[in-house]
Amino acid sequence: MALQTLSPGAESTLVIAPMLIVLVAAVGTLLLGTRPRARAGVSLAGGAAYLVAVAAIDWYVVLAPDAPGAATYQVGGLPAPFGITLVADGLSAFMLTMVGVIGVASLVFSIRVLPELDRRSYYFPLFHFLALGVTGAFLTGDLFNLFVWFEVMLMVSYIFVAYYGGPQHTRAAFWYVALNLLASAVFLLGVGGIYATTGTLNMADLARRLAAPAAYGIDPGPVVGLLGLLLSVFAIKAGLVPFQFWIPTAYRAAPPPITALLAGATKKVGIYAIIRLSFTVFADAQIGVDLAIPAVGTILAGDSPLAFIGAVLFVMGTASILVGGLGAVGRDSLEGVLAYSSIGQVGFIAVPVAIAATTTVPDVRHIAIVAALVYALNHALAKGMLFLAVGAVRTATGTSRLADLGGLASRSPPLAGAFFIGSLALVGIPPLSGFFGKFLVFDAAAQAGSMSVLVLLLAGSLLTIAYVTRAWNRSFWGQRTPAVDDAVTDPVQVAVLLALAVTIVAVGIGFEPIYRFADAAATAALDTDGYIDAVDPNQTVSGADGGNVDAGAGAGEGGGGGETGMGTEPETEPGTGTINTSNGGDTP
Amino acid sequence: MSAFVLALVVGALFALGTFLLLRRDLIRVVWGLAIVSQAANVYLLAMGGIELGGFETVPILAGHGEGVPETTDPVVQALVLTAIVIGFGMTAFALVLSYRVYEEHDTLDASELGDRE
Repeated sequence: MALQTLSPGAESTLVIAPMLIVLVAAVGTLLLGTRPRARAGVSLAGGAAYLVAVAAIDWYVVLAPDAPGAATYQVGGLPAPFGITLVADGLSAFMLTMVGVIGVASLVFSIRVLPELDRRSYYFPLFHFLALGVTGAFLTGDLFNLFVWFEVMLMVSYIFVAYYGGPQHTRAAFWYVALNLLASAVFLLGVGGIYATTGTLNMADLARRLAAPAAYGIDPGPVVGLLGLLLSVFAIKAGLVPFQFWIPTAYRAAPPPITALLAGATKKVGIYAIIRLSFTVFADAQIGVDLAIPAVGTILAGDSPLAFIGAVLFVMGTASILVGGLGAVGRDSLEGVLAYSSIGQVGFIAVPVAIAATTTVPDVRHIAIVAALVYALNHALAKGMLFLAVGAVRTATGTSRLADLGGLASRSPPLAGAFFIGSLALVGIPPLSGFFGKFLVFDAAAQAGSMSVLVLLLAGSLLTIAYVTRAWNRSFWGQRTPAVDDAVTDPVQVAVLLALAVTIVAVGIGFEPIYRFADAAATAALDTDGYIDAVDPNQTVSGADGGNVDAGAGAGEGGGGGETGMGTEPETEPGTGTINTSNGGDTP
Repeated sequence: MSAFVLALVVGALFALGTFLLLRRDLIRVVWGLAIVSQAANVYLLAMGGIELGGFETVPILAGHGEGVPETTDPVVQALVLTAIVIGFGMTAFALVLSYRVYEEHDTLDASELGDRE
């Protein structure tokens, strides 16, 4: 274990390493064409390298005793806020680790479940491009760049949902594509509006300007509505009610390992974006307008838009818990149960985020974010593993309909054991990872002093027990059906499931370091000054002074087009691209 | 004046796109998606300010000092280029997907595709 510190600059390179690794793996598998073994090998090597890179970020940037807490990479060497900045802080690292674990498990699983499908198509390159989109979304510090990574992620998921779905799912795939294309247009509206309002797309710069709007001469009022637009886009990705309707059909259409990744990783991108924008970027915003709805009262008083976000998220989250839980109880296939379950579970993640947004007590806000992150981790592991287990059941029996299953526990005890542990983790039985997730969410609600939230959470937990028990009883206990009698499980798939089951138990038993990591992630999410300082060390919120330090570099981009038409002497200094600000602009 | 016309155009494009999105014919839906994304692009372009301006009207120049030449906003143009390329790819994909719907179901009418989940 190398514990010595890295040389200066190495952390910066480390930030972009995960992206480069998945990109190389994607292109490599693409070039290997029709050699499935070589493809699988390159894929696995890419997955392993990804895990190593993410672990290195975890240690050197976040967890080491003298870690800086955040590292940045300025793409193309352009300084923030004019270039695209990649930022790896505690929150990003936590999310990357989560995706790395479930991603590699699903990759190993894929190698056994889709051999002939891959020969006809580009499963592994697409898999890596999906991972690239997710990784980029977690690392980027630029709002428009976030849009681009969303599109990378979505484009691949369209193909997975549409291509692998078969005729009966083409309609679902079409509506999935249509919905997300519409969401992309809405995302652009939000991004464009925020740019016009604040004059920047860099998240750190955005946070700085919104915290001191007067110093920058901007009127941040419209930002609340624009943030609402973005929130709806992220809610679509996360599958929160009322944007949950695409989830059941899309999850059924995609192949099981991809569904595991959709539930475990791309959903979390929506959650991550909500947390990042609400807390790191918009928490200190001085909006300076009051919003009031007749008959409802004041929904936003004074400064921060967080109260507004919190109220909306709270409604969405509780509705998700109820809709997902009630929906899951009545489904007739394992995928259906799990898809509705993941609507409900995302509600359990959204509610603590809402608590964090509405509370004014810093400690409660902190613990609520920790709760959301730990719950997200548990959901990624448990739900990802359960979707993979459904894949294993389908490989073994050819079906996942509850009516055609029964007695699987006696046919394949290891598979049943893995499913059982995943189910218990969803319910939140100690000492599994789910226990701490649920415990922290309840703790945050109790500390916020909200009785109604506690009751709703409790109702959601009872629903979880109900649908998990039902799925277990119907498919793993009882009389063996003919499909189960002929079942032959794949040993590698079962091994992946058992490894994930061990991970879930290990996270629960050795929870202390996980908690420390989530704690660091929550600290990073709430530390706006630290984020700004990492991206652009020259200026922080407290030191806002009009931003004249970088004026020349910014004008240099536009100067090339403007100067020829204006007949002035070229203002761009050779080689540096900066403008001499003393004589520009005034010349007629 | 031109700002008013531009706002009208963006509004009309969104209205037309929304109307087409709600049709049953999948090709019209794809048209609707294309028009909505183009409307978003026009809107995005307008967000940089639609006249030559200095630091007080071009968003990226605001707050970065006063000594800059009159120019249109370069940032939104770069953004729109990216958005156009992405929109082009997505529209092409949606068209291919609607062709596949036609191949598999012999219809492009959304209401005849059945309700199989």
